[in-house]
Amino acid sequence: MMDHAKRAVEAAQKAGATFADARANRTVREELLLRNGELAEADAPEEIGMGVRALVDGAWGFAASPGSGAALADELAARAVKAARALGSARSSATKLAGREEHRGEFRTEREIDPFTVPLSDKLDLLQRCDESMKGADETVVREATISSRREEQWQVSSEGAELYQDLLRVGAGISTSAAANGVVERRSWPASFGGNYKSLGYEYVDSLDLPSHGARMRDESVALCSADPCPAGEHDMILMGNQLMLQIHESVGHPNELDRVHGEEVDLAGASFATPEKLGSFQYGSEIVNLVADSTVPGGLDTRGWDDDCVPSGRWHVVKDGVFSGYHTNREWAGEVGDGASRGTNRAEGWFNPPIIRITNLSLMPGTWGLDELIADTERGILCDTVKMWSIDQRRLNFQFTTEIGWEIVDGKLGRMLRKPTYQGSTPEFWRSCDAICNEDHWELWGVPNCGKGNPMQVAEMSHGAAPARFRGVTFVGS
Amino acid sequence: MHDAEPFEAAALRIIEASPADETEVTIDGTLDNFVRFSDRGPTQSADRDRVEVAIRVRFDAGADGIREAKATCGTLEAEGTRRALERAVALARISPATPGLMPLEGAVEVRATSMDPETTGHGFEDKARWVKSALAACSEKGVRPAGLIQTTGLRRHLANSAGRRVTGEASRSAYALTASVPGGGSGWGESIANRVEALDPERVVARAVGKADRNRQPQAIDPGEYTVVLEPAAVSSMLLFASYYGFGAREVDEKSSFLCGRMGERVFSPSLTVLDDTHNDLYPGLPFDGEGNPKQTVVLVDRGQLTGPVTDRSYARKLGLPCTGHAVPQPSGSGPVASNLVVSAGQSSVEEMVAGVERGLLITQFHYTNMIEPRELTLTGMTRNGTFLIENGEVAGSVKNLRFTDTLVNALSRVGAIGTTPEVVGALFDGEVVTPAVRVDGFRFTSATDF
Repeated sequence: MMDHAKRAVEAAQKAGATFADARANRTVREELLLRNGELAEADAPEEIGMGVRALVDGAWGFAASPGSGAALADELAARAVKAARALGSARSSATKLAGREEHRGEFRTEREIDPFTVPLSDKLDLLQRCDESMKGADETVVREATISSRREEQWQVSSEGAELYQDLLRVGAGISTSAAANGVVERRSWPASFGGNYKSLGYEYVDSLDLPSHGARMRDESVALCSADPCPAGEHDMILMGNQLMLQIHESVGHPNELDRVHGEEVDLAGASFATPEKLGSFQYGSEIVNLVADSTVPGGLDTRGWDDDCVPSGRWHVVKDGVFSGYHTNREWAGEVGDGASRGTNRAEGWFNPPIIRITNLSLMPGTWGLDELIADTERGILCDTVKMWSIDQRRLNFQFTTEIGWEIVDGKLGRMLRKPTYQGSTPEFWRSCDAICNEDHWELWGVPNCGKGNPMQVAEMSHGAAPARFRGVTFVGS
Repeated sequence: MHDAEPFEAAALRIIEASPADETEVTIDGTLDNFVRFSDRGPTQSADRDRVEVAIRVRFDAGADGIREAKATCGTLEAEGTRRALERAVALARISPATPGLMPLEGAVEVRATSMDPETTGHGFEDKARWVKSALAACSEKGVRPAGLIQTTGLRRHLANSAGRRVTGEASRSAYALTASVPGGGSGWGESIANRVEALDPERVVARAVGKADRNRQPQAIDPGEYTVVLEPAAVSSMLLFASYYGFGAREVDEKSSFLCGRMGERVFSPSLTVLDDTHNDLYPGLPFDGEGNPKQTVVLVDRGQLTGPVTDRSYARKLGLPCTGHAVPQPSGSGPVASNLVVSAGQSSVEEMVAGVERGLLITQFHYTNMIEPRELTLTGMTRNGTFLIENGEVAGSVKNLRFTDTLVNALSRVGAIGTTPEVVGALFDGEVVTPAVRVDGFRFTSATDF
């Protein structure tokens, strides 16, 4: 595969490309979903393909096709150069790439147990025990348990001399159950709601979740929610659990931090950003205790890798430091626009079929000092919100509205009645500035996002967000 | 584009090699070509093709039911499909049996469809000319462009061991442009059609630039209830949630659909009729569903009366309804989906709808619409790319963006008028709808932005 990638790059250069790179990918997945006791999905996809990118006359061309081989490499190089050449005349300025990335090496996700070596019977047994754990209530209409495994190998070569091999593995698992009663339908999910939680680890992570031990609680809470009081509208102090806070980080810090979006290149679908370059280094993004760190090296992160698709090494940097806006996600094409000599290494494509764009990497809220019990006890009146249900944010990533699966009223420092459909609304900087307490590392967890959409046509990427529960003062809750 | 013959040959080869009691093979071939652009010119392009082979195998487990699984691969080559078949068989043999599954069905007639060669042959030189034209128009008005031009062809062949052999083809072309005023508002235009010749690039540019020009300095406006004239894209981003979560038989069976307890009732405005119609003239889709059953045209809302849902074979039997041919590829955790929504045209032009509004809003588009709960289809989303105040029947100027939070059920019950001209429009998430503009009274906005 590496030889074919090299051949494609050389062919593109011979055809006139001033820069070229090639990525050959082999992706193997296994998706298992047990739904109401029946195996609703048992899927084992495998795909091999190659994508070639060429810069000619200052314009990008990209060509991609399934398979591998020398003939395909030659064909894709010719197609990429042809596309770039046809488009160059419409460019007003030539694309320039920051730095020079000529790395060679290999990267493998750390793993104890290869999920593809675990017998299917063991996985199905686990799913069935999950299903059994959620049975027992007449109101229950859906019980789901999932295990997802993916291995992606990538061979990448560039005309600057980069030659890289990456073997990226991730697993995920989770349970969810829905109840219908009193004219409403309510769902509870564990440990998170996008089919569970996902990490770049081996099957040992699935084992560690102990999914069946949480089924009865999810069932009981989904049933109880059908007769719970709606969350009251108005201003309340709020504690967000990590599996909701991760999406807050994703939508209101991660996406507005993508430098291509900041420059309007994504406004045709995904939107723009309020976090414009003149704010860098001075804008009070959050309170002084808010530290948000991008890190494509953190163990277990869904975007933990050796290099991005620009062949730039992974790294770690502050996006928000002590509350101040401090850095962007960049690629080689855009890094120079904010005076960086090199990219942060966040240019990624969904497989071989797509050209890369700037994507959020693993981006985490650093832990604070509070215990969760201590934080609840310190909250006189408020609402604790748990698990993503719905999210929506405007095209500049300011006005957001999120709903969680479940809420709990806090009265005099104690958890009280269960609340249905807690829906809170706010504006990004005001919200992060209202953060006055973050739980400590004992409560900090890395949460995987397996379904991040961006680009046009849309591509899906994965990344993780670390978070511990945190408190936000005076948040607006919307009656709905 | 991939020829049809290799698809048919590969499917037969897999079925013949399969040790399973029943085997179904679905092969998708895609040819896609796109250019994205900004004021710098083309920023990204792709010339790409893909093959996806899905192999579904089943073993009879007697009284316990059927053991079933699927494996996919990205190649027609024998070695790749052989490995995929092996994976499918291995998964199925160990899978728990599902009781009550029906056997695969045999030969069936589906409507002939074709891919448009002009669309799949639309090259980068053609697209570069459109880009230059858009850049010139944007430069003249001092607005910044960001757009996409895309042409796609799709062929799907489905064959099974019971003798079913169906092939469908479709093509899609799209041109979208957002024009942004530096420090101000923005405008948007889009054209989607099955044939590239049916696109109207000049109209897209004129709409986007014209809206941006009228949206240079939007004024603040308070949230609250307004009569709204929703242009087609705004209708689409809401109605698609009924497609995702409401019009399918599984949602009815699991009591999460807004149809539950309302079937046969006139819940929506009598002016509203909604079909699922893959055969519509404006934007025809594939003629069969994920199991190769012919897709029927289904009246989902008949002059305000709820008459759905769509079904597949499994849910048709479970609910005692006819099979409408809306299965997703099986096996799947998803139920049948109404994925070709068509809103019947009404009697009013957009101008006439605006003229009938004393005070309200003309909405171009919603951004990031999402669902809070399914039984009433409570939705929220932001206005985008041109929101205009209507006063005394005339557009009085542009306003800053607002967030709506309202239920689709209530909104569609308050439809006051429907436009004369359906368009093909999409949304941020998957799917497209054929719909004209719609006027809704008492639409609820819950917060505002400062842009």
